[in-house]
Amino acid sequence: MLCAVFIPVLGSFLLPLFGKFSEKLRNALSLLLVAASLAASAWLLPGALRGEAVKVSMPLPLGFDIGFAADGLAVFMALVSALVSAIIVLYSFTYISHYGNRNEYYLMIVLFIGAMMGLVYSTNLIVMYLFWEISAIACWRLIGFFREKEYVLRADKAFLVTVFGALMMLLGFVAIYQQTGTFDMTAMRGVKIPDLAVALILFGIFSKSATLPLHTWLPDAGVAPSPVTSLLHAAVLVKIGVYAFARYFLVTFDMSQFWHTVVPAICAVSALVSAGAAIIETDIKRIIAYSTVSQLAFIFLGLSTGSIVGAAGGLLYILMHSLAKGGLFLCAGIVEQNMHTKDIRRMGGLIASMPVTAVAFIICSFSIMGLPPLGGFFAKYMVINGAVDAGQPWMAAVFVLGAVLTVVYLLRVFAMVFMGSPKGDLPKERSKTMVASVVTLAALSIAAGIFINLPSSFVQQIVSGMAVMPK
Amino acid sequence: MNGAVLLLPILIPAAAALCVFLLPRADRVVKGIFSVIAAAASLALSIALWGRTADYSIPWGGFGMDFSLRLYRFSEFILLGVAAIAFLTALYSTVFMRDKPLRKQFHAFLLLNLAFASGAVLADNLVVMLFFWEGLLVMLWAMIMTGGTKASPTAVKALVLNGVADLCLLLGVGMAALSAGTLTMSEMRLPMAGINNAAFALMMIGAIAKAGSMPFHSWIPDAALDAPTPFMAFLPAAIDKLLGIYLLARISMDLFEFLPGGAMSAVMMWIGAVTILLAVMMALIQKDYKRLLSYHAVSQAGYMILGIGTALPVGIVGGLFHMVNNAIYKSGLFMTAGNVERETGTSDLKHLGGLGRKMPITFACFLVLALSISGVPPFNGFFSKELVFDAAKESGWIFYAFALVGAFFTAASFLKLGHAAYLGKPADEAGKAKEAPWPMLVPVIALAALCVLFGLWNTLPLNGIFGPVLHDAGLEAEHFNGLPGNWMLAAISVGVLLLALANHQWGVKRTGKGLGAVDHIHYAPGLKQLYDAAEKRRFDPYDIGMAIVRGASRVLFWIDRGIDWVYNRFTVWVVSAFSWLVRKPHNGTHWMYVLWVLGGAVAVGILFLGVF
Repeated sequence: MLCAVFIPVLGSFLLPLFGKFSEKLRNALSLLLVAASLAASAWLLPGALRGEAVKVSMPLPLGFDIGFAADGLAVFMALVSALVSAIIVLYSFTYISHYGNRNEYYLMIVLFIGAMMGLVYSTNLIVMYLFWEISAIACWRLIGFFREKEYVLRADKAFLVTVFGALMMLLGFVAIYQQTGTFDMTAMRGVKIPDLAVALILFGIFSKSATLPLHTWLPDAGVAPSPVTSLLHAAVLVKIGVYAFARYFLVTFDMSQFWHTVVPAICAVSALVSAGAAIIETDIKRIIAYSTVSQLAFIFLGLSTGSIVGAAGGLLYILMHSLAKGGLFLCAGIVEQNMHTKDIRRMGGLIASMPVTAVAFIICSFSIMGLPPLGGFFAKYMVINGAVDAGQPWMAAVFVLGAVLTVVYLLRVFAMVFMGSPKGDLPKERSKTMVASVVTLAALSIAAGIFINLPSSFVQQIVSGMAVMPK
Repeated sequence: MNGAVLLLPILIPAAAALCVFLLPRADRVVKGIFSVIAAAASLALSIALWGRTADYSIPWGGFGMDFSLRLYRFSEFILLGVAAIAFLTALYSTVFMRDKPLRKQFHAFLLLNLAFASGAVLADNLVVMLFFWEGLLVMLWAMIMTGGTKASPTAVKALVLNGVADLCLLLGVGMAALSAGTLTMSEMRLPMAGINNAAFALMMIGAIAKAGSMPFHSWIPDAALDAPTPFMAFLPAAIDKLLGIYLLARISMDLFEFLPGGAMSAVMMWIGAVTILLAVMMALIQKDYKRLLSYHAVSQAGYMILGIGTALPVGIVGGLFHMVNNAIYKSGLFMTAGNVERETGTSDLKHLGGLGRKMPITFACFLVLALSISGVPPFNGFFSKELVFDAAKESGWIFYAFALVGAFFTAASFLKLGHAAYLGKPADEAGKAKEAPWPMLVPVIALAALCVLFGLWNTLPLNGIFGPVLHDAGLEAEHFNGLPGNWMLAAISVGVLLLALANHQWGVKRTGKGLGAVDHIHYAPGLKQLYDAAEKRRFDPYDIGMAIVRGASRVLFWIDRGIDWVYNRFTVWVVSAFSWLVRKPHNGTHWMYVLWVLGGAVAVGILFLGVF
């Protein structure tokens, strides 16, 4: 477990050094670091499946004990995140080779993934906060990677919003510390925390997971290189918020009933507004970004209604969304890099020259829309079913409306980019590694649907161990 | 019997579809023949499964989402129907699709459709049913796309319209599962009360939308022009009807205690009645062979929904029998359209005429099929329509009236179609036409023969299948074969048909051509304006819905921009205003700092006074 965290975190700083000697070596090493993290997490899987969490801790005074534990939830999130990250790193090899500052790129990417691992496994609120902020720094550098003034401003925006949210959350942690005298989450299972602390922590979570009204930095972050946006949306950044929600409010703390209605309501607004924006936007990456905001609301809905099916659906949604959204952004990257534009009005008919990308794109889209045989179907069904089970059929109906809008905006992108009449010449896909990455993600989406029993049994094991679930 | 055999109807076509994808590109015929063989294997399998019962269940998604399949009297019959239509379509497509660019995809998706449809029919768990059901949505989209890039807007339309309905179905499944406490269909029996009404309504939307009912229908006429013709014969004409009505019958008979006289029954009958009438009115004025048929595909669904909506045994039997009959004749009719299209290069009735002599077999089959759909005795459509009429009359004269008027227009539009395409003067395009090749004739002949068989020997399906199905569901199973008990119904139907014939003769005499037979209705004052608006898509539910979505999205977009403005402008403004404010008092002049010191002293003084 420590390997999973510290190999990428520490290893990332070696990357620029290797980069001085050999590009290839550095690339291979960065993939290796992420793969090591993936392998270490996979190694923890059997234990987590048996319900025996591996724990490491170092006692420190004042409840600051540094601790890591690999329970089911942590291993699940780490696996999802590391798997998608590894594919994205592979994709980066070709994508980023056209640009400068590659050493910095790989350093930040691997550090970012390492921070995610640290956050996932840590059991201490303050340690989690530290990794949270490391990820914010990495994210800030990566969004402004192309260094144009406008881009740097947007990176600043993302940084300011997420850090402001994190500071609010820190205040919430302080409020909890006042009550319990510790930051160790394993010691606080089932503790009822005050509404103020819940509100502050939710503020932090929503800022990281880009939920209305703290979401606009995420579409703006589309100026980053495509593999970075893919990483932000699929593997690491926005998943931090939902993971933290699950960790705090499903596994650790007990929040009052009131929040089980308020959080879904906020998310319903978030889902609809962002879906509406996605239907109007014309920048391919902004559309997919708004789609993330909208889908995150579905994940929160699943996790927050207090129904066991919904919680399982929310976790599955994390997996399915990571696979599919990662694929969508990587497809968008292929299109954008070859077309030299992100404006979908200036694209059309690309299926003729990029058939594989087109098919991968539509498969990932279907998964996000929640259509079988893709994995997204089960996640969406369980999330909506969870809302019904929790006695909120109207909320479920609002989210069904959100799901309809999802169908509309994703089809709109597909139709405008890959169908219709070509505008200008039609470039080819060129890079084989990039195409292979998107095909892998699309294939994984299909496999996750047909063999739903595998992720589902894992998720069932996780939710059955949750401390504060009713039933 | 080992239940695992139930996986075969799903796995055989799915595996075959994968093979079609992987087969080398070069050959034009092999893939077609391969898919015919695969479909034949599926058909043989469903014949072998006939008369048996089996269950299969393995854990799958958790939380009650077991992968369970159930073969019993009802599902095996639909399974057989699906496989038979798939086989005939595959055979037909070997020639029809031979020179089309996307033939490989067409054959593969045809098989995948077969696989998913088989799964949806066999499913005994609502989530498994939903899995295959919504999977068909993807396949529907993919299959329309085989019409080429020009079909893309239609494919999107089909996906959105059906997607809305399927998401309603999903919500309905969630509600039903909550109140039933199980997802297993064969264990469900919900009373119609409270939330169950909503669950029923939502599931009904999913079912009738699949069957092509209004207001989820408007992709079908578009697909008639954009998608390959065998697709029309396969999905909207046959498979969609079989599945949609199968599900409708399942929820009405098994899953819910759906009784006559309830609010849901009235809603369903009205949907059916309105669909019959509006769609057939649109069919009447069409000038394109396939588009005309496509509106009938919608209109006929209305009869089935009306029949089942009455919740009377006679209506349910009538609806189910009509579903089967419609699958047979509508599929066949689309195939005749395909024959004509292939031989003449067009399906526009203005360029057709006099084909009866050139294509005698197609014409003969068309006659049988058209007489069946028009409800002429002794063909199959007559008997199923009489049953629906009987149930409609029991439920209210108004529904019977809608159904009768629908029958009149159906007959009138087929008289017009047959006259314009097959009789009259040969048009230029018809000059070099000859009879279609045998792989395209055999399916049509087979379907026409079935129309005759199910007409003359209507006891076979009625007492052999539907009666027992109803009996299993606990409904009283009478004998429904032959003429209705009330012979007046039959007499009125025949009267309506004669009226349609007279109307046709008069119209032809008036305009001098078959195509103009209904011009006096089309251009009647009042109707003309409505027709014009409808042809300009003013009433297309998809266009209306999308306009609403776009408008609402525009509003939501500006809300979002407003939030963004708070970050990009407002926050920046607040911060700079604040820093300006605190910068002002630090301007470096001597007196300002004297003021600061004095102010500080006063503040400290007040503090001390307050403390002591």
